[in-house]
Amino acid sequence: MKDRLLPYWLLIPAFMIVLATTIYPLAYSFITSFRAWDLTKSRRPEGFVGIDNYIYATGESQFLNSLWVTFIFVITSVILTVILAMALALLLRRKGPMHTFTRIILILPFAMSPALIGVSYRFMFNPEFGVIANGLGAVFPALQGVPWLADPQLAMGILVLTDVWHWTPYMTFMCLGGLASIPRETEEAARIDGASNLRIIFGIILPQMRGVILVMAVLKTIFALKMFDQVVTLTGGGPGTSTETLAYFIFNVGFRWFDMGYASALAWILTAIMMFISIWYVRMLLSERKMATA
Amino acid sequence: MAEVRLVDIEKKYGAFLAVPQQSLTIHDGEFLVLLGPSGCGKTTTMRMIAGLEDITSGDIMIKGERVNDKPPKDRDIAMVFQNYGLYPHMTVRQNIEYPLKLRGVDKATRKARVQETAAKVELDALLDRRPSELSGGQRQRVALARAIVRTPSIFLMDEPLSNLDAKLRVTMRAELKHLHHELGVTTVYVTHDQMEAMTLANRVAVMREGRIVQLDTPKKIYAEPADLFVAGFIGSPSMNLIDGVVKGGVFRADGVEIPVPLGDRDGVVLGIRPEEIDITQDAGAPISGKLYALELTGESTLVTLRNGPSSVCARGHADFEAEIDSPCYLAPKDEARIHLFDRASGERLG
Ligand SMILES: Nc1ncnc2c1ncn2[C@@H]1O[C@H](COP(=O)(O)OP(=O)(O)OP(=O)(O)O)[C@@H](O)[C@H]1O
Ligand SMILES: [Mg+2]
Repeated sequence: MKDRLLPYWLLIPAFMIVLATTIYPLAYSFITSFRAWDLTKSRRPEGFVGIDNYIYATGESQFLNSLWVTFIFVITSVILTVILAMALALLLRRKGPMHTFTRIILILPFAMSPALIGVSYRFMFNPEFGVIANGLGAVFPALQGVPWLADPQLAMGILVLTDVWHWTPYMTFMCLGGLASIPRETEEAARIDGASNLRIIFGIILPQMRGVILVMAVLKTIFALKMFDQVVTLTGGGPGTSTETLAYFIFNVGFRWFDMGYASALAWILTAIMMFISIWYVRMLLSERKMATA
Repeated sequence: MAEVRLVDIEKKYGAFLAVPQQSLTIHDGEFLVLLGPSGCGKTTTMRMIAGLEDITSGDIMIKGERVNDKPPKDRDIAMVFQNYGLYPHMTVRQNIEYPLKLRGVDKATRKARVQETAAKVELDALLDRRPSELSGGQRQRVALARAIVRTPSIFLMDEPLSNLDAKLRVTMRAELKHLHHELGVTTVYVTHDQMEAMTLANRVAVMREGRIVQLDTPKKIYAEPADLFVAGFIGSPSMNLIDGVVKGGVFRADGVEIPVPLGDRDGVVLGIRPEEIDITQDAGAPISGKLYALELTGESTLVTLRNGPSSVCARGHADFEAEIDSPCYLAPKDEARIHLFDRASGERLG
């Protein structure tokens, strides 16, 4: 009897740590999201306000703006990253002479910290002394003196660019793993049956990569939803609020304006979006399993 | 319809020589079987013909044209892969239909062809399933159907029946034989089932370690194996191979004394098939020993006799009965059906 319970006893410390470090803050912020709490006035949460914080959010233009910015950012960066990674993987899957070298080069952008990426891109796109800004200006005179990060659309474009640049290598490796697990014979059979290269990619390889692509898209979506560092170091949400993502807006609400109740509510909205996507993904994956496991 | 010629082809994987330099001509409309033990290079040879594997040196000619640099789809072949190579995201119907679709066959014809082909391989009931929902044998039949749905110039089949049960295998064998008769398409067929080789082939190429050791009609290969390896590989139960010496025109081993047309020499192997041996009561018979085992196979009984290191198996009447360990006598039916080989080189003697 004692022996059977022992494993559970041994698990208690780990369980306590998890409880204290994740469950407790989560629960605390959830409760806070139903309270008023102005950090400049009180060090403790004030009274309960029901779902007022959530209702306020639905009408606040800055929140709605951040939602829209996040949406644009997520969609473009996810689609670009997945397509680019897939294309790169298809090019790299054959073992060529530069095989190892290209792979080492590839992993470098992913090894860089996102905050650092933001800073370095900010310098590179500086209209006066930025390497990229000057280079582009030299090659295309029309682009001389373009105030890259001062233009709302361009700033968003560069933000997406840094994120795609950061994530594509990792996603390429995921694709390479997926490609390696496709039986070689399916492609060969199609080749003999008379399929062109494009047809093999779109008709034979990509359908078998569905599961991998789904995992990639969801992972990337969740990371893009949480993206924060680059906004801080690259654009600071600007110009104006044109690159103010939800994560960055939550940070502002909580730690610039010290409205903790509202910030908690916003954080939970973000969490809900991510949970929704995860659940949808698990369901897709389950139906995928049922469909194609040869 | 096409003639396939392999001219001095060689295949190396890095430093490993999978198929050493050799030539082989597959005649127009011929059914050629590549037969050999696992790892002897059958699949490799086939993949080279298909264009899936680069050849290290030599030429491949199809219809008299050098195709070394032609992609697989321009060689007008259909292939059954050893591990099927089915498209997992397509139904059985779509799998079978795919080659037709790629070659621009119209929809109505496609439908009819798929139905017809599926019936041939007894898959009609499974057309809407996906490969993952099929058994190994069923998958294999889909692979076969996908190859025969079209009429190419060459069929390449890599062990297309290996996963079927005995009964279905016989049915499919007959189906393939009929198909070949009907279409007359040049076929290269890989198997390590010699029964399949015997029944299907116009000619059999027996391979060993990448090399074709004998290329001949099934009859000839059975009756006149070129060396010890072929002798031991072809036939079931396999040929009796008895080690002994020849002295004074007689082959001698423990309990064996058979006159042979050969000068005196050591290290001789005498080969004789079980069905070429009679069981007698004659104590002076050329082969004598003690009865070691009796195995009823249904249509006959396999009688195994032992004497010292020699062990000889004979195919007797199904009604044959005797006590184990009782004395037993065997006699070759026909001296002409006795094969002699050199032990050291494996080569055929005389
Ligand atoms: N891609 C490869 N790289 C290195 N060696 C290989 C490769 N493919 C095959 N070989 C080797 O080449 C030899 C012949 O292989 P092959 O697949 O042609 O054999 P097989 O006769 O078809 O055997 P089986 O009856 O088991 O299918 C084997 O020794 C195998 O290990
Ligand atoms: Mg093989």
